Amino acid sequence: MYVIGNTALYLGILISIYSLFANILGIRKKNNRWLESARGGVLSLVLLSSAASFLLLYILGTSQFQYKYVAAYTSENLPMVYKLTAFWAGNAGSLLLWLLLLCLYAGFLVFSKEKKNPMMPYASSILLLNILFFFLVILMSANPFEMSETIPSDGKGLNPMLQHPGMILHPVTLYLGYVGLAVPFAFAIAALMLKRVDAEWIKLTRRWTLVAWLFLTLGNIIGGWWAYLELGWGGYWAWDPVENASFLPWLTVSAFLHSVMIQERKGMLKTWNISLVILSYVLTLFGTFLVRSGILTSVHAFGNGNLGTYFLIFMAFMALLSIYVVMTRYQLIRKETNPIESYFSKESSFLLNNLILVAGAFAVFWGSMYPLISEVITGTKVNVGPPYFNKVMAPIMLGLIVLMAICPLIAWQKATVEKFLKNLIWPLTAGIVTAIVLIAVGVKGIFPIIGLASAVFMFATHIKEFVSGIKARMKATKENAAKASLRLLLKNQRRYGGYIVHIGIAVIAIGVISSTAYPKDVLQTVETGESFKIGQYELTFKGLTEHTENGNGIVAATLDVNHKGERVGEIKPEKIFYETWPEPSSEVAIKTNLTEDLYVVLSSWEDRDKVTLQAKVNPFVSWIWTGGMIMVIGTGISLIGGRTSRAYKLKPGTLKAGV
Amino acid sequence: MYSKRLLLLIGIFLLAIPVTALANNDYNSKEFQSIISQLDMQGHANDELSTCKVKQMYFEEVAEMLNNGMTESEILQSYVDEYGQAALREPSQDKSGLIAWGMPLAGLGGGSVIVAYWIKKLKGKEKMNEEGDHLKWESEIEKEMLEKIFDEERRKHF
Repeated sequence: MYVIGNTALYLGILISIYSLFANILGIRKKNNRWLESARGGVLSLVLLSSAASFLLLYILGTSQFQYKYVAAYTSENLPMVYKLTAFWAGNAGSLLLWLLLLCLYAGFLVFSKEKKNPMMPYASSILLLNILFFFLVILMSANPFEMSETIPSDGKGLNPMLQHPGMILHPVTLYLGYVGLAVPFAFAIAALMLKRVDAEWIKLTRRWTLVAWLFLTLGNIIGGWWAYLELGWGGYWAWDPVENASFLPWLTVSAFLHSVMIQERKGMLKTWNISLVILSYVLTLFGTFLVRSGILTSVHAFGNGNLGTYFLIFMAFMALLSIYVVMTRYQLIRKETNPIESYFSKESSFLLNNLILVAGAFAVFWGSMYPLISEVITGTKVNVGPPYFNKVMAPIMLGLIVLMAICPLIAWQKATVEKFLKNLIWPLTAGIVTAIVLIAVGVKGIFPIIGLASAVFMFATHIKEFVSGIKARMKATKENAAKASLRLLLKNQRRYGGYIVHIGIAVIAIGVISSTAYPKDVLQTVETGESFKIGQYELTFKGLTEHTENGNGIVAATLDVNHKGERVGEIKPEKIFYETWPEPSSEVAIKTNLTEDLYVVLSSWEDRDKVTLQAKVNPFVSWIWTGGMIMVIGTGISLIGGRTSRAYKLKPGTLKAGV
Repeated sequence: MYSKRLLLLIGIFLLAIPVTALANNDYNSKEFQSIISQLDMQGHANDELSTCKVKQMYFEEVAEMLNNGMTESEILQSYVDEYGQAALREPSQDKSGLIAWGMPLAGLGGGSVIVAYWIKKLKGKEKMNEEGDHLKWESEIEKEMLEKIFDEERRKHF
């Protein structure tokens, strides 16, 4: 196993180098055989990385503790699913996962229907550079097949917090997002190298970018859900530097997905779009650097000094390469573009959208790095935690929500104020009515009320857009409402898929604003039979029980739950004492309904009849997960729709329209 | 087997964390919550209370200081005196924290200026094109053809 694993990694380095040179030779000599050979090389890399990954899964699943990695992250009694997910629990395994996904993306790309595209060898070379780096780093600094001198009788086990379904989904989805961004980056550089800076590379990579963005979204939502269920502090986003590192490329790719529409339609923002793609890719490397270097304090950090340095060097290399390519082609990119016909147009509003998203990314980046910057400059470390980010990001996000509420109502090229105001009335009224109702029912806090009203405004705008589209279709085609709705969606998946994503964001915004502004929190010591109240809930402590499960000791408090005077069941917050872990772990008990979560943690106990419980009522948290799912559905619809590059091939007379 | 299980459960109960002593009404007071929400607690602010010794220590200290009659600002200042600004979860809102708070605003302001300039420039270009179009191009097809030729020449040149 040791030999096979290491051979796969060494061979990976050799084949990456070979494929890279085969591509370069193929490009220089215009020889298709070299290019074919490079493609074969990429396929070999897919097989090698898959072989190494299966091997790691095998040694993890069969508890071969002679391997340091297996002994460090698994134990004999760990359930099989977590033995396998320990694949990405540590540095070495997670880098191998990254490598596997990178090879798979590269494999899909070079064997896609666009494989004969002149940009492909260039794009493939960029991906091969990435693959080579990961093979090198794994072998030099984080080899999962490293063996120990003595074989331990059992492994250290997996951190209890990682023994959760979130561990199966969160790292994989997030990595699929991170790694996926290498594809548009590779195409952007390829387009620049080939001096083909029209919108072709954007059209070629639209789906790849959307896929990467979809997984980034999914990864962040699942990460939040996991943190909420597992960490026990009642929140889902801690503005931790590593969380921020995954949010940064999400923001810049969101900006890119909007600004590409302007390039496709108007031939504008070429430099900007290329810069956004490069920035997004560099930010993924930056995030990895943060996780691996341990330079900032984070619960997600792996903390390995060497790896951080390697990533820093690679990030600097790729950034400098990108800057060099952009600068040498700058005169070509900045060729005249179509002008904006009116200040009041969708184009202008998209520019504003980009400004806000990038400003948000800058604020998050600045806040994440400030502790380091302050320490370097003044010698004193200054923390930047959730209160800072909430204060700074709240107005930025509010601006974005308002813009999302207005943008769909503004026409391309030249909007008229009268028509805009006519379209605005209904959604704006919905927002204002929401604010009035909230104030009338006694909701406090001007900023949360503005935020909630804006989210409803945004939601209503998109509903109005759907309704208008359906009505127009029904009038034109005489279809019934259901048929017209479906056809409307199918005929313009890109637009309406995007609207569904926006609706998902509105739903998330309601969840985030409500749960941040109106949580209730009580720490209470109770004796058996005693009750306490939190919000509209009354909790009665029935007693403490204990049992063992899979060798772990579990202590559970049973509580009767009454909501508005009616019994709605019982909950059992637990404390689990793992055999292989020194610290006990809290198992949160959650009772969810549409408008709020009752969230209870068993804090401590003196004896069987006296416990201390931390209870919270978090309003609208489930809306965050629902909104996330709506976003995923919307992105899926957008992905299915939209014309491919083949359909976009220019026909005479289509240039001006930019279709 | 039975005795092993019994021993484990006894062990668990011995491990019971005596936070109950701390759980008086102070913890639920607005003042206490407000102070705690501002303290970084050496990076443990987001930890779960029952399993974090550092957080428990902070809770005890703050509760004690409140019981001793100290105000919110006095308590926060006492931590800043001891640990520096790193005791808090956000930079100071006075002069020393100006860069931390001001930079995102400066970024947004700078970005707004660039976008405004960009839009103005592109809008100005439209006027120029409107005037120039009649002089340069006789038809759209000719315009497209020449644009393609220029584009090709540009590629060769650069």
